[in-house]
Amino acid sequence: MEMLKINGVDREFPAGQMPKTIAELLEQLRIETATVVAEVDGLIVEREKFAKTKLSKGQSIELVRFVPGG
Amino acid sequence: MVSMKEKLGRAVVGIAGLGGLGSNVALALARTNVGKLIIADFDKVGESNLNRQQYFVDQLGRGKVEAMTENLRRINPNVKIEGHQLKLTADNVPKIFGDADVIAECFDKAEEKQMIVETVLSKMPDVIVVSASGLAGYGNSNAIQTRQVSKRFILVGDGKSGIDSVKILTAARVGIAACHQANAIIEVLMDGV
Repeated sequence: MEMLKINGVDREFPAGQMPKTIAELLEQLRIETATVVAEVDGLIVEREKFAKTKLSKGQSIELVRFVPGG
Repeated sequence: MVSMKEKLGRAVVGIAGLGGLGSNVALALARTNVGKLIIADFDKVGESNLNRQQYFVDQLGRGKVEAMTENLRRINPNVKIEGHQLKLTADNVPKIFGDADVIAECFDKAEEKQMIVETVLSKMPDVIVVSASGLAGYGNSNAIQTRQVSKRFILVGDGKSGIDSVKILTAARVGIAACHQANAIIEVLMDGV
């Protein structure tokens, strides 16, 4: 099993099935990227780099999906 | 020991958007004697704004920056106000809010919320952003929370009640979120992160 911490909760993936990038993770979670801010181990990843940013097991990821209204 | 008045008097807060969130954040911070507010919005005061935004009927049709500047001066003439009547973008945010210690994200659209939070976190390394997401509807006051996502990113709201799904914005619930934002900003200015 491989693990990522997503919004504070440990999430396990069978070996080889852990998403390889932020973009893959969002696709797996069925989250539209246009409204998402992502941080990996406390550092911002810009939206245009979601597909290029590789994930490693054990990383802590914060995903904030904004909803409209203000 | 530096007093609250001295500490806040030196602070600069940017307010991105002067709608239901921003107009309420601005008023709360002006009443708390924050030294300088940098306020920005592209819009005019419209009738549909008056159910939750801090403007008056006789201000309909005026630019929000001008109308809010007038209201803030009437409340506290000691606060310095820098106004920008324009649309904020990823390109102009770092320049317009360059002097800010903290920026309040007070936009309406989800994509714009994303834009400014990403811009502050990636391009403005000394600035804290206090954003709001999930504040539509009424009731359920205690679902609105303040959460420190990371060192420079504070998030207010219930995380899910958007105007796209809930269809209504009320003065009371938007006001709760705005005051969470203002309160978090005061806390950060007083105690750091």
